Amino acid sequence: MLSNKELYRISKRVYREGILQGQLQSAGSDQARFLEKIDKDKMQRSPDIILKIMSAIYIAGLVTIPIFALITIHSTLSSGIDSSWVTFVGSLSISGFLIMQPAVLLIFSFMFTWGLMSGGPYKWIHTLPIGRKDIERIGFFTFLRSINVQLISMFLVLPASIVVSIVLVLGSEISILSLVLLIITSLLLSIINLIFDLSLLVIVSRKMAIIMGDQEINSRKTNIIRVLSMILYMTVSMGAMYLIQIAIAKIPELYVLQSWSADTTNIVNIILSIIPFPFAGGYLITIMAMDFSNISGVLLGGSILGIILFIFLTYLIYKKALSTLRQITSTELKKYSKTKKEVFVTDIEIKTTGPTQAFLKRDFAIITREMSSIMILIMPFMIPLYMLFIPMDEQLFIGPAGLSIEMIVMLFYVSMVTVMLVVSLTNIESGGSTITASLPISVRDQVKSKIPHFVGTIPLAYIAAMFMRVGTSQFTTMISFALAFLPAIPIIGLASLFFKSLLFGKMKHKIVLEEIKNENKFVKHVLVFVFTFVLMGVFVYVSAFGFLHLGIAEVVSAILLYITYNIMYPKQ
Amino acid sequence: MITEKSAMVSVTNLTKSFGTVVAVNDISFEVKPGEIFGLLGPNGAGKTTTIKQILGLLEQEQGEIKVFGLDPNKDDIEIKRNIGYVSEDPLIYKSMTPRMLFNFIASIRGLDESETTKKLQYYFESLEAVEYYDKLVATLSRGNKQKMQVIAALIHDPLLLIMDEPLTGLDAKSAKVVKEVLELHKERGGSVIFSTHILEVAEEMCDRIAIMDRGKIIAMGTIDELSKMADKVGADLEDIFLKLTNQDESVNHIVTNLRKMMNSKKQS
Ligand SMILES: Nc1ncnc2c1ncn2[C@@H]1O[C@H](COP(=O)(O)OP(=O)(O)OP(=O)(O)O)[C@@H](O)[C@H]1O
Ligand SMILES: [Mg+2]
Repeated sequence: MLSNKELYRISKRVYREGILQGQLQSAGSDQARFLEKIDKDKMQRSPDIILKIMSAIYIAGLVTIPIFALITIHSTLSSGIDSSWVTFVGSLSISGFLIMQPAVLLIFSFMFTWGLMSGGPYKWIHTLPIGRKDIERIGFFTFLRSINVQLISMFLVLPASIVVSIVLVLGSEISILSLVLLIITSLLLSIINLIFDLSLLVIVSRKMAIIMGDQEINSRKTNIIRVLSMILYMTVSMGAMYLIQIAIAKIPELYVLQSWSADTTNIVNIILSIIPFPFAGGYLITIMAMDFSNISGVLLGGSILGIILFIFLTYLIYKKALSTLRQITSTELKKYSKTKKEVFVTDIEIKTTGPTQAFLKRDFAIITREMSSIMILIMPFMIPLYMLFIPMDEQLFIGPAGLSIEMIVMLFYVSMVTVMLVVSLTNIESGGSTITASLPISVRDQVKSKIPHFVGTIPLAYIAAMFMRVGTSQFTTMISFALAFLPAIPIIGLASLFFKSLLFGKMKHKIVLEEIKNENKFVKHVLVFVFTFVLMGVFVYVSAFGFLHLGIAEVVSAILLYITYNIMYPKQ
Repeated sequence: MITEKSAMVSVTNLTKSFGTVVAVNDISFEVKPGEIFGLLGPNGAGKTTTIKQILGLLEQEQGEIKVFGLDPNKDDIEIKRNIGYVSEDPLIYKSMTPRMLFNFIASIRGLDESETTKKLQYYFESLEAVEYYDKLVATLSRGNKQKMQVIAALIHDPLLLIMDEPLTGLDAKSAKVVKEVLELHKERGGSVIFSTHILEVAEEMCDRIAIMDRGKIIAMGTIDELSKMADKVGADLEDIFLKLTNQDESVNHIVTNLRKMMNSKKQS
């Protein structure tokens, strides 16, 4: 048996291994160069830290919800609204926050954890003389490590919000005993919540990892299932966030809308307070923040019972999560269904096509089978999905042409998706191969094969996004704006592609798309992003002067783009 | 266009470093038509680095490389049309089947369909790989992946074959076939540069051998010339190699120590 401290130290290796494997996977034939880099550059070794901090900050941002809820409870209570109704609405707000926490954790931490849930990174540990139990604990610690910053942030949010509200209002209004109880309860609740959310994350990540499967199984069917479940996952999580946000924003309006009698409210309160998650916690905090005034003992008892049930529920889920972790760290787990049908080869035959078509075919084979290029398939769906969830704002229009804020946001969102597509598409060229490296490749053919994505797929997704608003009052205006901007979409896509190949590739007769000039990778990627956004910004700015101006700008830039294309990738 | 026929490859004063590591240090050699040229040396000697620079896969820093009289950093397309390359690690698209892979290669190289089909059938049959033609590359074994690489390097009848440890992972029969192919290639006036750690193979196949150590070529010539240099006339390449790389004494030392250690372990 090793000490926990030692195991936590070992888990660092496993975690790094997981990250490195991912990086190597995407480095492809560039691995040698990548390894040379990583030796020198410390930042390259922790590519996760920025994302970690960002999601921790997002989680910390949730602190405003309970603060706002607690302050509102007090102001409404003193304004003479029925206390049982205040308890009801206040508890709903706090419960909304409690349910928001796991949702945010799932959405933002998922990317860190599902890679660890495939079992891959644990393989080499089994070659070391470490006991089974210890390996399980290493599995647990590795998982913790992958979201440690977020967890700390998450743990602190509720107690912090309580402290802030005490300083702001509660301190002068409720008794010392209630204050102390409130702080203790929030700490307790925070701990239980943390374990609950963490376990939930383990279970969901594992489910997802199973669906996503091992990187080795490059079957097309698996990949389609992967894509569908990713899209489902995104739709559900974005939808849930959207609904919760709306709910949290609308709940305070309920205070003045009491629609049942006080007696009914009391009964509803008691029933809800027994439901372990998220209501029991919401009620308990609310009760204490109200200094137990006008609170029936039954309600207090109900919510305490609810909390006990919540602890029990958490225990169950925690057990389940532990056994999930156990499965991951045990190597025997992998049971692939070996039902693949035998293929008998009858003919060895070569069918040649033009080079551009050959690239297209190769890309298709890779995109539909490989995990690393899964984003290329998902990206186009993200555009209409996004449209489904951004709030509609009919008031804000800019410039004489009356471009709505919503439309501008949409255009920049499309630009972002475009850059991401550029990055993933060009990665195909470096993933794979000494084979490509040794072929006499004409850059023009190579680039040509990427054009359909920007001329076909992205514009289609963009139009589809507009149809998400079919039937609404703004649909006709939207579609005419959308059509006016339609030519700009492929223009910025291709410009972005050319710009990336200019920064990363060698010019003239070399393979441009492969990342040859690999120094300052991060800065260059940022430049590509900025370049694309600025370009879109120019189009948006010009459009403010009217559609005619926009049209001229589009024609001019299309011509410039064509000239650039011929200069950068000349016919041979 | 390919002009100069006198030397397939000529390397003069080539130097390449990675940071502080000097991987290749001022080496020069030539490979003539109809010659099999072997690169030997301990791990990390700089063989792969040399080969990658000849192909233009690594940036050239100092010195000059000419392949068919052309500069690999400028005319790499022309050069690649006439080279077959087998890399050290078989990095081929894992989500393609050999069928897709060879269709891709033939399309990019612009090869003739029926002629290439015939060649491909021949290679697949003689390397006993026919049954893998429609399997995903990801599911192939190390040796079978290596076969795909070798076939991909041969399919367009290149003038020059550059092979970095081509026999790694191949079973005895396939290794024999590949060796035969190299001999045939040489007989038809093609050249081969290959690196290997299997000294018997080098001894059997190579017309000339360069022994590299820590980035330098420490000896170059035919087996006879090398054995004279090592003062070991008639000895086999292993002895010559160890002598020339100054490893013969250290090997003896290691062997003695190893014996001691194993024995003491047995006793305790
Ligand atoms: N991408 C790289 N970054 C940093 N150093 C490198 C890189 N590639 C090679 N080296 C270093 O250059 C030296 C020569 O390496 P090279 O791969 O050419 O050796 P080799 O003779 O092919 O060895 P082996 O027999 O193991 O294949 C080694 O010291 C190696 O560590
Ligand atoms: Mg090597």
